[in-house]
Amino acid sequence: MEERSVTHGTFVIERSYPNTPERVFAAFADPGKKRRWFAGGEGSEMEEFEMNFRVGGTERTMRRMGPATPFPGVALTNETYYEDIVPNRRVVFAYTMLLGDRRISASLATVEFVRTEKGTDLIFTDQGAYFESGDGPKMREGGWSKLLEGLTKELARP
Amino acid sequence: MRASGSRRRQSLPSHRVNVERVFHALGDPTRRAIVERLSERPLSVSLLAKPLAITLAAVVQHLQILELSGLVRTEKIGRVRTCQIEAAGFSVAEKWISERRAIWERRFDRLGDLLAEDEYS
Repeated sequence: MEERSVTHGTFVIERSYPNTPERVFAAFADPGKKRRWFAGGEGSEMEEFEMNFRVGGTERTMRRMGPATPFPGVALTNETYYEDIVPNRRVVFAYTMLLGDRRISASLATVEFVRTEKGTDLIFTDQGAYFESGDGPKMREGGWSKLLEGLTKELARP
Repeated sequence: MRASGSRRRQSLPSHRVNVERVFHALGDPTRRAIVERLSERPLSVSLLAKPLAITLAAVVQHLQILELSGLVRTEKIGRVRTCQIEAAGFSVAEKWISERRAIWERRFDRLGDLLAEDEYS
């Protein structure tokens, strides 16, 4: 297989919430609230969470990957830089993911809050550059079955 | 894991693999079952069809879609057509992308739960 140093991928997620844009925005702006939805679960332990929600501010989350993941015990770090914030309308941030000390991707993420009759439509656009992390062969050691499990689960989502 | 033997046909260049097409191909449960079985080892079309409870022709059709999406490669050796998983459709990078999406989906599920709690508390 031809080796690439970088792959680009964009995905968009749309959600409707029966809450005002003010409430939804607050869940991004308030560290206490954000911590509850952003970094919980995922079968991993959160060890660090720092955020400075202002344009030019940074955020750092570090989780330790759980036993069910391909890299048990390895740190997964998210480093975010807030590029643009328009209260109740939009948040734009750049974020880098690190697996251990290796950078695996860098993305530009845009969250738009659209007021509707029923509440808020949230539109999340993630434009990413994914690096060959050097862990490719290691991932493959785990076997295709394991790789596929996660993918099929994700694809089976409604 | 990967089968031994020479690769007679070059795989699709990775960057040409269409992610949408891959997702479409895997959106069908029969095709997912095919991919899951081939991820264990390469199989002939007839062996592949056996436990699937669908006609051979239907299996061939599913295989064509999987081949087009770059997930599966088939090769005729003598009278037997052998199918195996194709690396191009499942590069590590693509896996990361789909996983990333899944992470955000789960985050937004939790955000919904949190908003619901706050609203009624």
